[in-house]
Amino acid sequence: MLLSCRISTIFLCVGLSIMRILIIEDSIRTADYLKKGLTENGFVVDAMHRGNDGLHCALTINYDLIVLDVMLPELDGWSILSELRRKGQQTPVLFLTACDKVQDRVRGLTLGADDYLIKPFAFSELLARIYAILKRGQVTQTGKIKIADLEIDAASHKVMRGDTLIDLTPKEFVLLNYLAQSPGQVLSRSTIAEHVWDINFESDRNIVDVAILRLRAKVDDPFSIKLIHTVRGAGYVFEERE
Amino acid sequence: MKNASKNKTISITYRLTLFYMLSAFGILAAITGYLYFALMRNLDGEDNQFLVEKIHDLRTILKEHPDNMQLLQEEVNEGEDSPFVNYVRILDEKGATVLEFSKKENTQLAALFPEPVEIDEDPVRGWKKSTPDGRLYLLMSAWAKIGGAPAEKRLLQAALDISREQEILNEYKNKVLGMLVLGVLFSAAAGFFIARKGMQPLQDITGVIRKIRSTKLHERVNPSLWPRELTELAFSFDQLLDHLQNSFSRLSQFSSNLAHELRNPINTLMGEAEVVLSKPRTHQEYQSHIELNLEEYEKLANIIKSLLFLAKAESTDIILERTVFDVSAEIHAMLEYYDALIEQQHIAISVQGAASLNADLSLFRRVISNILSNSIRYTPSGGKIDISIWQDADHVVSVQIRDTGIGIEASAIEKVFDRFYRSDKAKTASGQGTGLGLAIAKSIMDLHGGSIQIQSPPGHGTIVTLTFPLPVSCF
Repeated sequence: MLLSCRISTIFLCVGLSIMRILIIEDSIRTADYLKKGLTENGFVVDAMHRGNDGLHCALTINYDLIVLDVMLPELDGWSILSELRRKGQQTPVLFLTACDKVQDRVRGLTLGADDYLIKPFAFSELLARIYAILKRGQVTQTGKIKIADLEIDAASHKVMRGDTLIDLTPKEFVLLNYLAQSPGQVLSRSTIAEHVWDINFESDRNIVDVAILRLRAKVDDPFSIKLIHTVRGAGYVFEERE
Repeated sequence: MKNASKNKTISITYRLTLFYMLSAFGILAAITGYLYFALMRNLDGEDNQFLVEKIHDLRTILKEHPDNMQLLQEEVNEGEDSPFVNYVRILDEKGATVLEFSKKENTQLAALFPEPVEIDEDPVRGWKKSTPDGRLYLLMSAWAKIGGAPAEKRLLQAALDISREQEILNEYKNKVLGMLVLGVLFSAAAGFFIARKGMQPLQDITGVIRKIRSTKLHERVNPSLWPRELTELAFSFDQLLDHLQNSFSRLSQFSSNLAHELRNPINTLMGEAEVVLSKPRTHQEYQSHIELNLEEYEKLANIIKSLLFLAKAESTDIILERTVFDVSAEIHAMLEYYDALIEQQHIAISVQGAASLNADLSLFRRVISNILSNSIRYTPSGGKIDISIWQDADHVVSVQIRDTGIGIEASAIEKVFDRFYRSDKAKTASGQGTGLGLAIAKSIMDLHGGSIQIQSPPGHGTIVTLTFPLPVSCF
């Protein structure tokens, strides 16, 4: 436990722009895949499996975010969160919970959690929430997004590829803008549906597929460089690939 | 728990017995008490009256015929033949006996007489006194005038032995008390018996109810077999059993459906993984396998999320976040989401009417989405979906979604709200769908106190009507 705390302390000294995340999750398998996935996405990750160890690490090291499971041995997630807040620690906390009860959700948020995810969740969903929390408070870009020869002007709702003006419907524009705001990040269908159409429940998965298909027909198909890519089983990613 | 409740409350039988006993005691005590005092007063009155008359007669003789000693003697001795007067004495002013009559020698009595009543007063009540030999007497004494001369007067004393009457009274009292005790005991026994008898149907109904087990939920108490007081209980219990039986059969149906629903994808996942691992594969093959798995996992995760929602809706764990919104605008927003799909399938959509609704917006959108996606899924290319919105005089808002799709078989229509139920027609028409969409729609309508109705006239697609009543209270 102390060893892993020290390791991240070294990182703290080396790279200032690296984001540090603490995972407190009793299932070792879950913690391992979360750590692997987040590390591969450029985060420095510590994983703790017991409540007390987790709280100790959270109090000792200055993390950018804590991913906290509710059900933990020794000390549960609620107690860790209230203890952190009691000691003045304002590190953002993302709750993972298997029990989806309104009271639990309300309890987590009143204790000062920043967000919660209900199991089972997609990893891309977790990643999206983490980015959202870390970006929170930062100034959102209002200017232009440029990727390869694509240019999106959020202010005038204009999309250009090279010299060609692309004519999009308002929803198509919102969809493209949403994809382009997180280049390189896999976005699941449900995340896209939630952000673009405000659909926060399970619905036909192929609706997003059809919408993306139509967007591609306008944005990608006529051009040699493809920007919208399907990640099979996971969702879509917007990036320039070699 | 049974013992605890027993300790707290007395059994109804005992309670009824106690009430019977108390009321019997009250009634008997009142009646016997009244009779006893009536008898006592009656005897008392007669005795007093007799002495009063005796004094009066003696006074009259002394006043009007002061020298007629013969008459006086007769009057004094009158008691000789009657059983009543035991003692009469006339004294002069100095206390010397003028005349005396006594049934038996009774010198002790002379000392017991009270202060005499004055000449111009009439005696009313005598004194009750016991002699040392234990007999009880009623005593009366009064002054009497002789002739017209005021100078001379006589002292009249009369006594009546009332021991026998007292004995009769005492005997009567004892009998009455005995009857009272006996009556109370009898009424307690009768009360206990009646209460037991009266409570018998309750024990019988308990016996019938006790026999009903979860495996015998089809049995009923049958209200018509019981006394009027118990029909309500029997009726309520039968209703409870109806609900329970219904829920039980739904639950078992649901469990078997759930097992089936999970068995298929898990079987596929297991088998595929085994096959993939049985031989070394290329990197691409592994990747494609994992990608396919992920799609299956996502489906499973969605089933679980939907089931969790239903469970929450059923346990009424969901708190409705009511807002007032424009139904037409929200439906148009939903259609925007389905727009690409609708256009791809060449379905014409129309929305008519408008209303504002007080409901949970996110749940409203979920209902509309579930029904729309069914309509789109089961309406062939070139079809039509008409949505109409209206509000009637009672502020009930209705939304009707009518499609020209494949419709629902008449035999399947009542099952469409069951979890995981998919009609054969639906399964043939589309491989997609979990069979939970309409169950969720119904649970959302239930949460709002509204209703969802599905009609499918053969050859005319499906008509779904949602009805939202005015909220009883706004949260």
